[in-house]
This record gives sequence, structure tokens and C-alpha cells, in this order.
Amino acid sequence: MAGKSGRTISATPDKSLKKALLSWEGMLLLLFIAINILCKCISPVYNLTNVLREMPKYLTEIFLLFPMAYILLMGEIDISVGSTVCLAATMACLSSNAGVPFIGVILIGLLTGTVCGMINGFLATRFRELPTMIITLGTQIVFRGIAEIALGDGGSISLTNADGFRAIAGKVGPVPYMFFIVIICAVIFTVIAEKRVFGRNLYAIGSNSRTAFYSGIKVNQMLFISYTVLGLLAGVSALFLTSATYGANTTTGKGFEMDAIAMAVFGGISTAGGKGKLIGGIISAFTITCLRVGLGQINMNPQVILIILGALLICAVLLPNISQSISDKKKKASRA
Amino acid sequence: MKKKVLSAILSVAMVATLLAGCGSAAEEAPAAATEEAAAEEAPAEEAEAPAEDAAPAEEGAAGGGTYAFVSKSAGNPFNERQATGFEEAVKAIGGTAIIQHPESATADAQITVIQSLISQNVDSICVAANDENALQAALEEAAAAGIKVCSVDSTVNVASRLTHVNQAGVTEIGQCLMDAVYDITGGEGQWAILSATSQAANQNAWIESMKEIQAADEKYAKLELVEVAYGDDEPQKSTDQTQALLQNYPDLKVICAPTTVGIAAAAKVLQDQGSSVKLTGLGLPSEMAEYIGDDDAHSCPYMFLWNPIDLGRLGAYTSAALVNGDITGAAGETFTAGDMGDYEIVTAGDGGTEIILGAPFKFDPSNIEEWKEVY
Repeated sequence: MAGKSGRTISATPDKSLKKALLSWEGMLLLLFIAINILCKCISPVYNLTNVLREMPKYLTEIFLLFPMAYILLMGEIDISVGSTVCLAATMACLSSNAGVPFIGVILIGLLTGTVCGMINGFLATRFRELPTMIITLGTQIVFRGIAEIALGDGGSISLTNADGFRAIAGKVGPVPYMFFIVIICAVIFTVIAEKRVFGRNLYAIGSNSRTAFYSGIKVNQMLFISYTVLGLLAGVSALFLTSATYGANTTTGKGFEMDAIAMAVFGGISTAGGKGKLIGGIISAFTITCLRVGLGQINMNPQVILIILGALLICAVLLPNISQSISDKKKKASRA
Repeated sequence: MKKKVLSAILSVAMVATLLAGCGSAAEEAPAAATEEAAAEEAPAEEAEAPAEDAAPAEEGAAGGGTYAFVSKSAGNPFNERQATGFEEAVKAIGGTAIIQHPESATADAQITVIQSLISQNVDSICVAANDENALQAALEEAAAAGIKVCSVDSTVNVASRLTHVNQAGVTEIGQCLMDAVYDITGGEGQWAILSATSQAANQNAWIESMKEIQAADEKYAKLELVEVAYGDDEPQKSTDQTQALLQNYPDLKVICAPTTVGIAAAAKVLQDQGSSVKLTGLGLPSEMAEYIGDDDAHSCPYMFLWNPIDLGRLGAYTSAALVNGDITGAAGETFTAGDMGDYEIVTAGDGGTEIILGAPFKFDPSNIEEWKEVY
């Protein structure tokens, strides 16, 4: 049963490998390989060491992709997460500068993110008549506002003692610790989405929230959990981001929410809910990362890179619709 | 189940392509036709070869070196003139210039650009920082890779740089602007500052200096600084902030905008509204020419700036001197900056070192016509 977008609902697994490669995720994988070959051709310094070294900035955004994908699958959205990152980074820096031991700093960063996520989750479930776009637009402003007040005059704080953060920015060979954590998260979130009742219920809610509710799915509970987890991972993202900037300022995390949403949408996850796979989002995240790294290495103007990414995103949304309408026409023609 | 197998295949394939696709023999020549094949077969240990072994990013770099300049953001006219000067000077010394404008005026965006420059193994990075401290980790990494780092225009902290190329001493600028405010107000009344972002190091240093000068001298006792507004170097936000200042302080006499974006936005608001509030600060002659004049029809009697093209050129010559080993960035060292003459490295206010371009230059109705053609 094909969805309107032409992406199959994964509740109906397809057994053939050919079909798998022709699926959105399969095509993304081919695109990922193609982009790596392209980058290799245009940039003489595009190698594993350099890609891994340039990757952390993008990895901090990929943390947000996983729970964001869950929320999108349920047909909801969270555009406040960039501000959550800013607030969590601010609190972590402030507590670190106040002399809190590093383990405490980590807990404060994670807790700040989690609380922000819980606030979003509470508002989203308590006021179901309000679109989550509007709720999180509000909290986006509120969270950043609180961060700006906490940052005080000058709008920027830097760590007086960055030792702890230096440690988490460490690497095993050329691979940053963060990379492993992203991979672990990717596996956990993918398994839950594909293999667990929670994951299957995400699709049920996204397809029809009311039906899902009357079928006994705890819609509100799942929403609350997803928003809370997004907050928690925003805290993780904030800690790693701080480890790269040794501080926080009013622009920390700006645009992260849109980058995470873009990765998900490019990966085939519908913002209307119910369609797409997390694995698609993950492949698209790494595809975008590699493309940005490669184009950056040939000193392409960053503004042009943004235009290319924007164009790719529009194509990604349009392509399945176009191919669907073509195949519909063919069907009609063959019937007539 | 099939899906499990599929996701496993996908994940494995992803990692495999990452390894094979990106992992190339580091010493590979960019022109090699068999590059692709070689890349696929590159053994793992070769892929992990340190970046220092990588071939120079630019083929034309032979002898002259590759000098990178990272601006604050695209569309900042002052930064773009610096970039022009930087490029000119690099050409003059026979090197290759890489000019990069980050995608937004944030430290994060600059870090992305710096990381990419480290991959390319450039010889030097000269950065106009969006945040004093946030670039430290990235710039330390650059330094560890053997890249010479200096800042220009807006400084990075001492740990991140070898030296800083400063347009003018902080107190000189503070004094200039404070005297202008004193002169235009007639010695008494309310005035306000319209700055860029609240974390721009240069802006904050000048504002601090103006406050200190005002507090230190009895002469300025009748002047009242009512607000420091932040226009974030965005024309629209600067316009909004100017309008808010006019609304909130009906007795305001002078706005001082030490930023090129802010002063141009404020000048337009004041002149369009026929406001009696006057303007001074730091602005680009080409953008401010129509607003500079002594009569009531013009909003800005006079303003200051240094030559951003020269600033960029001095940044390039400083980078070259650092790369060549003529200087190490320690106070007391001197070097010759091409046709600009000799410069000395001095101790900066933050404990690091800096090179000062010169005193700010005054633009008034008598010379603006001539300068607006220049930059």
C-alpha cells in the first residue's frame, strides 16, 4: 500500500532486494555513495581523517534528528530545540564556571534539556487544540530569552576551566567519541522505531491520531516521552557543542531545529506524519554532512552550499510526488 | 526479518562507503586520473595518514603559500573591503588567497569554515571573529596542524592567536568618538550607542572605553548615555533599534554607531524622518556620502573610519611574515608590510600582542566626495 508521497508505509514489508534498492532509503544510499565519489573527485583533501575531523559540528545536529524523526512521524513538530540547546549549553557553562564538578555540569546540561523537553511535551499534550508548531515557536522564544538573560551583558560566556569539555571532545584515533555515541543512538532509535510497539504506534498516531487513540494507544504519553527525549538529546548536543566552542553565546544552536527537520525530510520522513523511516533520515544526515564537508573543502561559497542544499531538499520532496503521479497516469492509461 | 537484514546491509554499506569513498591515499596528486580507483583500494592505514601529508590544496600555491581570510559574514561591506585588501596583498607577494564568508554571522559558522581550512592544510588563517572565545578549540587545532593564526578587526582571545591586526588603538577610537559626541551635542544632553552584536569584542571594547572616558573627565559630566542598543549588524534590526531609541528618548541629541551597518541604517531613519537627532560613529564613506553634511537636511555631520582595504592588506602581510618566520607574534618584533612600510608588534590590552594600523580618519563634508569613490 503506497502512500500519497510514493513512499511505502513500512507496516507492509517488501521482501525483494530490488524493491529495497528502489525504495527511498535505497536511493538515498546510492546518493550517499555518489556524493562521496563526487566529493573525492572535486576535493584532493577529502579523506576519512578530514571528514571525521570536520564532522563533529554536524554530529551535534544529528543527535536531534532521532527524536525529531519520532515527533515528525506522529505528525507533530518541535522548532524550539535549537533554543533548548542554547539554554542547556548556557546552564552547563554557568555551572562549570561556578565550580561545579564536571559530572555535575553534565547532569545540569542534560537536566536543563530534559526539563525544556518536558515543558514542550506538557504543553503539547495538555493543549491538543494548539498546533505544536505554535507551541514550540513560543517556547523557542522563551528558552532563548531565558538563556539570553542568564548570559547577561555581552551575551557570551566562556569556560574558565575547559578540561572536562576537552576530555569529551577527545578521539579514538581519528574518530571522535561523539561519533560512537551518535551510532549507538542511531541503532537504539532505529530498533525502537522498527521493532518495538512504541515505534509501530508512532506510525499509527501519524496516520490517524484519533483512530490510534480509540485503539488504545496512549497518544499523549508517547508525545510527552518523545518531546522529553528530544530535550534530553538537546542537552547531549549542547554538551558536545560546548566542547567545541568552550562557551556559549546567544547564537548557540541557532538553526539546529531546521537542520534536523531538513535531514529528516530529506530522508523521506513526512512532516504530515506516518510516513518514512528513521534509517532514511540517518542516511540523509550523513549524505548532507559529506556534501557540506566536500563542498567546503573546495572553498565553495557557504551561501551557494545553502542554496544547493535547499534545492536538493525541494527535489527530495517533489520527486516521489512526481513519480507517483506519472505511475498513476500510466495505470489510468492501461485501464482505459 | 527482511527489514532487519536490510537495515544491517544499509548500515554496513554506509560505513563501508565512508571508509572506501573518503579514505584515500593522502599523498595522492589531485590530477591523477586513476584517483577513484586508487581511493577505493587505499589501505586503511594510508587513509589514516595525518593531514599534514596532504598535497597542498591549491595547485597555484607553489612558493607563495596559501593564505586564508575568514570574514564575519557575507554582506558586511567593511569585511568585504578587508577581503579585497587581503587578496591584493597576497597576490602582490605571489601567494594564493582563500576568502571565506561564513554562512551566518555566528562563531559556529566560522568554526565550520576553519575546520575545512585545516583539512586543506593552508599556511595561515586570518580571522575577523564573531566571538572572542568560541573559536579557541578550532584555532588551537589549526595551530597544532602548523597553521599560523592571526585575527584582524575583531580579535580572538590570546590563547587562540599569534597576534592581532588592530585598526586603531581602543582608547584612540573611544576618545575620537567621545569627542565627536561632545562636539555635536554641544557638551550636554542625552546620547545613545547603536552597536552590532552584543558579543562583538571590538564593539564592546570601544563602548567600554567611551564609558570610561566619559566618567573620567569632568568635561563630559553633562552628557548622559541613555542606552546601548544592539542592531546585530542587520540593516532591519538596526533600523528598528534606531526607531525604538527615537521613541523612548524624545530628548535624545546624538546617536553614536561604531558599526558600518548600524550607522547606515540609523542615518537613513534619521534623514527620512527629518529628525533633529544627529549621528556619528564609524561608517563606510560610499554608504554614508548622502547623509553627511553640516545642515539640517543631513543626519551625520561627520564620522570616522580607517581604511579597511589597508587593514586587509596588513592582515595579509602579517600572515605572510608569520608563515615566513620573520615574526613569531611576540611584542617588540618588527616587520616590513610590503609597500605599507614597517610595523611593530606591541602588547595589547588583553595581554596578547597586536599590530596597530593607525589612527582613525575623519570623514566630513569637505572630503566625503573624494572618499566615497574609494570604498
